[in-house]
Amino acid sequence: MTPFEEELKQALKRQEPAADFTARVLARCAQEDAKARSGFWHVFWTAPAWRLSAVAAALLLVAGGTAYQQHEREVRGMAAKRQLILAMRIAGTKLQEVQQRVQESIEVAQ
Amino acid sequence: MAGLLAATTSMAATREGQAALPAFATAVEMHKAMVYSIAWQLLHDRLAADEIAQDVFLQLHKNWARIQSPAHMVFWLRRVATHRAIDAARKRKTQAETSLEETDEPTVLERVHDSFLASYLKRMVASLPEKQRSVIVLRYQEEMELEEIAKVLDMNVSTVKTQIGRALDLLRGKVSRKLGRGTDNDAI
Repeated sequence: MTPFEEELKQALKRQEPAADFTARVLARCAQEDAKARSGFWHVFWTAPAWRLSAVAAALLLVAGGTAYQQHEREVRGMAAKRQLILAMRIAGTKLQEVQQRVQESIEVAQ
Repeated sequence: MAGLLAATTSMAATREGQAALPAFATAVEMHKAMVYSIAWQLLHDRLAADEIAQDVFLQLHKNWARIQSPAHMVFWLRRVATHRAIDAARKRKTQAETSLEETDEPTVLERVHDSFLASYLKRMVASLPEKQRSVIVLRYQEEMELEEIAKVLDMNVSTVKTQIGRALDLLRGKVSRKLGRGTDNDAI
């Protein structure tokens, strides 16, 4: 470092702020904290009744969603079962008709 | 050092939220001169510098959980203080009104003693353009390396070097003209 730079360094020495600087900063921080604590969301999440209500509502939503999905599955299952039974009935009737015709053919042949 | 360690320990302990006040108070005590001086050298207004320094520490309080180490805290404080002071200086536009050539001449008494040279140099630094003033303050007040200055100011190292060179040339020229002092070639 050259003498000129040394002089510059000396000229730009750090300076202390006012003696009560730290106290004022801490007071402002405390003020900000208090302001944040009185905000809507903070009060909401820190009040036990609200917190419980929110958790209950969330649980209700999840339970309701699950129950609805289950119901939908059951409805689809019943519809599929009905279709299957109908198909089997039709198939049974057709089989019976074929069996009857075969029997008649055998009797005619004899 | 003990305070620094205490601050670090508490920093880790309060990761989830804002600063625990004792640790935060230690940090403010340790770094207030650095933050205030950066703002003061860039603004040359004690009230504004005080206000900016307070805002910087308030921001630190809010971002306490993000501070990873004491070194990171110093870097973070320097960066935020410098940028805030530069923004404030831009808003005030006071610097634009004072060019280097327009700055007051030192009186005869000021030539008598080196402490007067210091005060003269301070005024000269205050009259530099923002970029040059910032790099000079970080280099000679904070004694930062070029790479560190580049990171704080989001500049290339070569730009920092150029800005320091230009600022030193301006300052040396002014001092040698007005105080009749010989100049020296500075190695940055």
